[in-house]
Amino acid sequence: MNKKTIGFLLSLAMMLGLASCGEKEVNSKLVLNEVLIENQANFQDDYGVHGAWIEVFNKSYTSADLAGYQLKMSNQAGDTATYFIPKGDVLTLVKPRQHALFWADGQPNRGTFHTNFVMDGTTATWVGLYDSGKKLVDQVTIPANTLQADQSYARVSDAADAWEVKGAAADKYVTPSTNNQTIEGNAKMEKFQSHDSAGVGMSITAMSVVFFGLILLYICFRLIGQAAISLRRRNAMEVKDIKCEEEAKEKKLGEAPGEVIAAISMAMHEMQNDVHDVEDTVLTITRVKRTYSPWSSKIYTLRELPKK
Amino acid sequence: MGEFLNFISNNLADFWTYTGFANATVGHLVMILVGLVFIYLAVAKEFEPMLLIPIGFGMLIGNIPFNMEAGLKVGIYEEGSVLNILYQGVTSGWYPPLIFLGIGAMTDFSALISNPKLMLVGAAAQFGIFGAYMIALALGFDPMQAGAIGIIGGADGPTAIFLSSKLAPNLMGAIAVSAYSYMALVPVIQPPIMRWLTTKKERVIRMQPPRAVSHTEKVMFPIVGLLLTCFLVPSGLPLLGMLFFGNLLKESGVTRRLAETARGPLIDTITILLGLTVGASTQASEFLTFDSVLIFGLGALSFIIATTSGVLFVKLFNLILPKNKKINPLIGNAGVSAVPDAARISQTVGLEYDPTNYLLMHAMGPNVAGVIGSAVAAGILLGFLM
Repeated sequence: MNKKTIGFLLSLAMMLGLASCGEKEVNSKLVLNEVLIENQANFQDDYGVHGAWIEVFNKSYTSADLAGYQLKMSNQAGDTATYFIPKGDVLTLVKPRQHALFWADGQPNRGTFHTNFVMDGTTATWVGLYDSGKKLVDQVTIPANTLQADQSYARVSDAADAWEVKGAAADKYVTPSTNNQTIEGNAKMEKFQSHDSAGVGMSITAMSVVFFGLILLYICFRLIGQAAISLRRRNAMEVKDIKCEEEAKEKKLGEAPGEVIAAISMAMHEMQNDVHDVEDTVLTITRVKRTYSPWSSKIYTLRELPKK
Repeated sequence: MGEFLNFISNNLADFWTYTGFANATVGHLVMILVGLVFIYLAVAKEFEPMLLIPIGFGMLIGNIPFNMEAGLKVGIYEEGSVLNILYQGVTSGWYPPLIFLGIGAMTDFSALISNPKLMLVGAAAQFGIFGAYMIALALGFDPMQAGAIGIIGGADGPTAIFLSSKLAPNLMGAIAVSAYSYMALVPVIQPPIMRWLTTKKERVIRMQPPRAVSHTEKVMFPIVGLLLTCFLVPSGLPLLGMLFFGNLLKESGVTRRLAETARGPLIDTITILLGLTVGASTQASEFLTFDSVLIFGLGALSFIIATTSGVLFVKLFNLILPKNKKINPLIGNAGVSAVPDAARISQTVGLEYDPTNYLLMHAMGPNVAGVIGSAVAAGILLGFLM
């Protein structure tokens, strides 16, 4: 491949790359997951206080750090309270698929997880989560008078798009610091147990995928092989100055017989492993005169015989 | 004086409770015996010595009885012990992909590239996995456990460990030992099935010699292979990614040192650690259960099904192939991914019937396709059941 082609390919790749660049999305590993505004008999903090709380969920499968993030809340336009989540607290590192709970009690001196604002459920409440670069990561607006005491506004399940009121029905629990939808079993496994207890469906599906994958590879390498053979033949035709395709096929141009391949392989093996019959070095023996040194004298390196 | 003697005798009695003799159970002795059999098979019969020696010795290490209530932190299942730390490579599943890196760096895919239809034989042998999966379900294992057990039929130790560490960690010891044992016993299991399923005429079929494969094709294989298989089954990425990466290191021709490290010191180190810790994980108290016995039985069945399906598939395939392109069904067994043992068996059995018919190169095709096929199958099971 010449330099022009390489340059062309690189330019093409760069142009395609630039064309596919959109606005950089903010890190959205962390999302707001559940908010409870009026806490009368629900979860209580370490001080035994029933306060409003905001739950943040790490939806990724890696840890995410909330240090430097900001929690913002507004009950009316133009009046936004901001809580800066302090750096240096190891507890702000949220483990994969885990939750962090912030108490909106206006008591930041009680610890990292107590905000400097309180929430009011009688007006619409907007809560926003901003990353350390002050970019909006997630937000939710709880309509006014939607929630009664001990009810929360939460995503249907962790990190789901839809929100609902929890605590209003028997099957919709308020779930501080835990999954919004309680996982009571392995849904996938139960599906297999109920629909495919003998495993026939799984076997057919999986074997079809295995065959499909390997058939794809087969087709691909059949085509690549044919292209390689025809390329080799064309090169051989150029070297032998043969124009007719039929003649080239007859003479089996580009197809090296087994003996030739064996001979080439042997030669390469000998070269690469330095195995050779004929030595390529010349041995010369010349007399070298060396002056005497006591350091090389045998007498001094031998132990003397013990004296009787 | 009497008090002092009393003190000494108490000390000795206390010491006795810590010794292996005081803590030995029949289970420990049985497992030590199994370990010794493994070592014997490796040394005397040369059955997969690289695997059976570390596993066999690991069984001895793992079954030295000790006082488990003393908190000595010596057992493989005691958090913080040296063996436990080494075992984490197995439990968290990072040894198997490194083994695959080495396998990729030492595997020559040219037999497969020159005759790509042999890939289908590698795919057919994966029936062993799903046959065992169905039988395991029938025996009462849940789908995740059945998937982990079924993968023994792939005849690929690292894949079996990788998948069982994700789907059924509590069965991993039994599955790993079963997979490696049967891989070592491939020379015993496969030949009778191959002879039984083929006719004398079929056994002497001569296959066309493979064509020469160009360097470009060899370089393209890992790249295209990775893209095609992993776009289809992304859950197989850890194994397939490392396998094809290792192969690119080998075939690119410009990373010789990296390829040599991957197929030499790296794979050797990981094999030692993997073998030893898998062997040690067979601690009698955790290992000797009825499930383990069932898993051993299912493992044997899965190997038999895999071999049978490989050979039968070739026979069926021959029905549609032109006369000069027929495949010798004796290479059907090589569809299981025990590389290169299964291919060697094709060669040995083939030579028994025609001393001038060399099947090794042809058998390497389905054999390496089996490695890809079992990794794809593992990815599918992981994707469906996890």
